[in-house]
Amino acid sequence: MRFLRPRVGAMLRSQPHRRRMLALALAALGLFLASHVQAENSAIRIGAPLPLTGALSPEGLKLQQGYELWKDVVNAAGGINVGGTKRLVEIVYYDYQSATPKAVQLAEKLATDDKVDFMFSPFGSGATKAASTVSERYGIPTIAPTASSAEVYDQGYKNLFGTFTDNSTLSEPMTDIAKAKAPKVQRIAILARNDLYPLALGQEFEKSGKKRGFEIVYFGKYAINTLDHASALTEIKGANPDWIVATGYINDMILIRKQMADLGAKAQVVTMINAPAYQEFIDATGPLAENVTSATWWHPAEHYQSKDAFGSTEHYTELFQNKFKSLPDFTNATGSASGVVLQMAIEKAGSTDRAKVREALAAGGFDTFFGPLSFNAAGQATSYVPPVFQIQRGKAVVIYPDAIKAGDLQLGVQ
Amino acid sequence: MLYVQVLVNGLLLGGLYACIAAGFSLVWGVLNVINILHGSFVVLGAYLAFFAYTALGIHPYLFAPIAALVLFGLGYAIQYTVVNRVIEAPVLVTMTATFGLALLLDNIMLVAFKADFRKINLVPPLGVVDVGKLVPGLNVVVPVDRLASMLFALLFVALLYLLLRRTAVGRAIVAVRMDRYAATLMGVDPTVIFALTFGIGAALAGAAGALLSPIFPISPLAATSYLGKAFVTCVLGGLGSVSGVLVGGLLLGVLESFGAIFLGPEHALTLSFSVLIIFLLFRPSGLMGKRGFV
Repeated sequence: MRFLRPRVGAMLRSQPHRRRMLALALAALGLFLASHVQAENSAIRIGAPLPLTGALSPEGLKLQQGYELWKDVVNAAGGINVGGTKRLVEIVYYDYQSATPKAVQLAEKLATDDKVDFMFSPFGSGATKAASTVSERYGIPTIAPTASSAEVYDQGYKNLFGTFTDNSTLSEPMTDIAKAKAPKVQRIAILARNDLYPLALGQEFEKSGKKRGFEIVYFGKYAINTLDHASALTEIKGANPDWIVATGYINDMILIRKQMADLGAKAQVVTMINAPAYQEFIDATGPLAENVTSATWWHPAEHYQSKDAFGSTEHYTELFQNKFKSLPDFTNATGSASGVVLQMAIEKAGSTDRAKVREALAAGGFDTFFGPLSFNAAGQATSYVPPVFQIQRGKAVVIYPDAIKAGDLQLGVQ
Repeated sequence: MLYVQVLVNGLLLGGLYACIAAGFSLVWGVLNVINILHGSFVVLGAYLAFFAYTALGIHPYLFAPIAALVLFGLGYAIQYTVVNRVIEAPVLVTMTATFGLALLLDNIMLVAFKADFRKINLVPPLGVVDVGKLVPGLNVVVPVDRLASMLFALLFVALLYLLLRRTAVGRAIVAVRMDRYAATLMGVDPTVIFALTFGIGAALAGAAGALLSPIFPISPLAATSYLGKAFVTCVLGGLGSVSGVLVGGLLLGVLESFGAIFLGPEHALTLSFSVLIIFLLFRPSGLMGKRGFV
């Protein structure tokens, strides 16, 4: 072999451009190998635009807690099992300051600058729908933790998978219960925040109510950032409803509940969605929270045995309490569930290849602490029944479905 | 009867707005500073009252003077150390300075108090006055906490009026507003007067925060809503006038209440902002605005 060396050397010397080509090719090969090796062992990166400041920051921070708990549990176990190799999880957060256009920009940045492997949607139906265009354009499988309005999933996108069932799954059981347990309740007044999700939810209650023969005596929409609901509640009081339904975010619900008491607007049934699922609603309204009903996609009182990183609803709740010193609510839980379902899809696919993971997600069949998760053709979860609950003696008590209920509907809200 | 209740709702709401706007109007009228920090001061006052009530059991109405005192110190310090450096600059510069400070304060509160919404639940609750029981046939209810806040707003305005009219400090404040250099020649130190005025504005915000803590959910995010209401109240009522705050607040409250009835709750603000635009076009000085603060 020795004789070859001078010949190759002479050849290279005689053809300087070829030598440059060879050097370039070697460098390229090196780079390719280096990046390939790095990709094999590097963390799986997930982009998460969140409203960490601004009006939606309470929800944004809760979602982040959910993601972080999942990440910590997975990484403590060595990472996600990708076809036999364990890879750690890294979540890239950006704060979109509760401004939807900014959420879309940051999703774009995550896709192009940060080159994340997968994404979690921003908070709420509106922002999720807006940012889903970015995931679709770059073909990034994206889990939507908090989008329940069917309108989010009607664009024929292939990369969006939502953990929340449709809004009607909240209004239907509640109207069934009212029909069965409170035969005297006939007149419904609905006050909905003029915002994609709360308004859609209000309209679902209108539909579910009419379907069962209830009379809708008032339907009002209030503007975002409304500081006073006195006029609407005065009208509601005048309409003499048996059932008052209010939708919106937690600050709206605290204020509406307080002003209902101020104006003496009472009813047999008062439903507020989704604020009563949060302990802070109960703390902020005190005795006024009593007998308020609500429905939500997840509750710590559920008992699911799962094949995910958490094992069961109970174990999830315990881990969450250990880490954050408070009970998890549905926003925390859907954050963790988004991680869990992505993890299970990657493990099932045995790869982080986006097309394979997308296929695994679409195939569904994930047993999680959040409930069984499978998605319809549009990408929205359809596989579990969200529980209905009521605040009784300062605690949330599940009253539906029967399999997990801990009490019955109590009538009368002062 | 509906309209009587709506009118009462509007007047009570207007009282809250006047309560929120009093300090803002003073600072704008005297210092010509549009104090973006004002909403954050209100929120800080509410938080102080919340912790005083939950930890020490001090009633927010009793705590209001203490909140005012704490906020006075903070306001005085901020004016003396930061805003005074740019007080000579055009109004946009001082506005930007207070905007930056507001971002800072809001985020400090977000970190310190978390983003959770809180509210004081008075035990026992103050309840409502059922006017129907006093005047048969008049089916109107009045929530006591809102009524109390409205009365406090009246008290603030009266005190402010007396301060500006009857005390040496008050006359000095008015003098500086009218002609800063002439006031200096008369032996008034404008730097101190500015800091005092800003401090009084912050004190009024702190007291308002304490009074509102049983009424509105408390959160750092509420700051911008309060600021917006204070701004509109001042424009409607007119700058440089103590009673303008009251008139502006009541007008805004009543407009919003009737707007919600006639146009639907989603357009409650449409009517009030339409009136605001009409005022800006045809009567930019507001209902009772005048130069100087008297």
